[in-house]
Amino acid sequence: MIRPQARWSMTIVALILGILVVAQLRSQAANPGLSDLSAQELTLVIANVSTRNEGLRSEVADLEQTVASLTDAHDRGVSALGELRSDLAALEAWAGLTPVTGPGVSIRVTGAISGEGVEDLLNELRNAGAEAIAVEDVRVAPGTVVYGGLGSLSVENTPLVDGFEIRAIGSPQILTGTLTRAGGVIAQLGATYEGLTISVTPLDAVSIPASDRDLVPGHGSPSL
Amino acid sequence: MTAVVARLRALPSWQVTLSGALFVLGFLIAAQLAAEGPRVRYTSQERAPLIETALGLQDQQNALQAQILDLRARIVELEAEEPGSEALVREINAALEHARLAGGLVQITGPGIIFRLEDAENPGTERDSLVTARDIRTLVQELWLAGAEAISINGERVTTTTAILDIGNAILANSAYLAPPYEVRTIGADDLYERLTTSASFVEFVRSRIEPYGLRLSFSELDEVTVPAYAGTIRSHYARPEPSASPIP
Repeated sequence: MIRPQARWSMTIVALILGILVVAQLRSQAANPGLSDLSAQELTLVIANVSTRNEGLRSEVADLEQTVASLTDAHDRGVSALGELRSDLAALEAWAGLTPVTGPGVSIRVTGAISGEGVEDLLNELRNAGAEAIAVEDVRVAPGTVVYGGLGSLSVENTPLVDGFEIRAIGSPQILTGTLTRAGGVIAQLGATYEGLTISVTPLDAVSIPASDRDLVPGHGSPSL
Repeated sequence: MTAVVARLRALPSWQVTLSGALFVLGFLIAAQLAAEGPRVRYTSQERAPLIETALGLQDQQNALQAQILDLRARIVELEAEEPGSEALVREINAALEHARLAGGLVQITGPGIIFRLEDAENPGTERDSLVTARDIRTLVQELWLAGAEAISINGERVTTTTAILDIGNAILANSAYLAPPYEVRTIGADDLYERLTTSASFVEFVRSRIEPYGLRLSFSELDEVTVPAYAGTIRSHYARPEPSASPIP
């Protein structure tokens, strides 16, 4: 026989337990980290993710169009080689397998800087929407890293001399604006490396070579 | 031993249930408090709708990414069924597969390493005891230099256009919001780990960044690591294939 007192304490314990289980599950269900951000940072996340979603939506639209025209060609029993060729050209250009050209910027780096500093610059170029980048004659592809200490920079076994050039294709205004804004990457690098000068020139036409490397992974196989 | 069992048997069942429940309660309170943990908590009212919006956008992003992967798979199927001249079609399809692999549009599995990079256990107020985008970039760069062939960060494939940026105490990679702990997956030759850990710049990174601030870097070497495909946009708005480029068959 259970005493009423015991029944009460058990009810209360069970109630608190239930509330805590729910609270714990809810806090785990929420995206970890988002609740740690300030309102300003959340606004930035929202801006970034919405811009990305817009890009993803237009990618979906493009892909749907490709599917539609391939399906249509199949149904009519005609060749869609033109579609395949343009798909291939776009893929190869993006992946760094073929040379590309377009508007963009030329960046001249004079003075001592480390590989890490140059990588910060490349990261900011990608952030500003650069579609293709080259450091001197080396196409920046997955696996391309500028490395070495002050005065001994290399990229893919090619030494970089003082005053080397980085070229990028993208919106010349956005690329220039992002790099040169107050407190931007060039200002930060200038504060870190004494005597460093980085000049950015917007250009109507920039040529970027193809990568010299074999970019296909040799140790992994495609999996679903 | 038998005395203990006999004593337990003598206890009324509600007492056993109650102690069980209290035990779980204690555990949950501890878990809840630990989760409240070291990261700064903001409590202002305007954040709730912002978090809702951000979560909604992330759900949309996940759905769009899944859609892109589906459509790309469909295109691969359709392109393989192309009715044109057999030899030419085979050649173009081989080139397409080559380009997709080179660019990171295909999920691949192979021997590799999975790293886990976390903030210091008790980060306090110091920014240095939290993992930054710079740390992730350094790890990625060191892996490339050691011969890695494919890398992903919390499911985002590192491609030629991937920027990795700080946002609060988390990062953005491919403009996707990624929160710690960070799982960096990589595929490469069998000597990848050896080459990484004997590289002077990686040793310097561990000595100057990981160890002094208590950041937690762990890894496991595996025979099979799966690095996901890039599920983002590849359309160029400014770059065009160079006219002088070797003609496509």
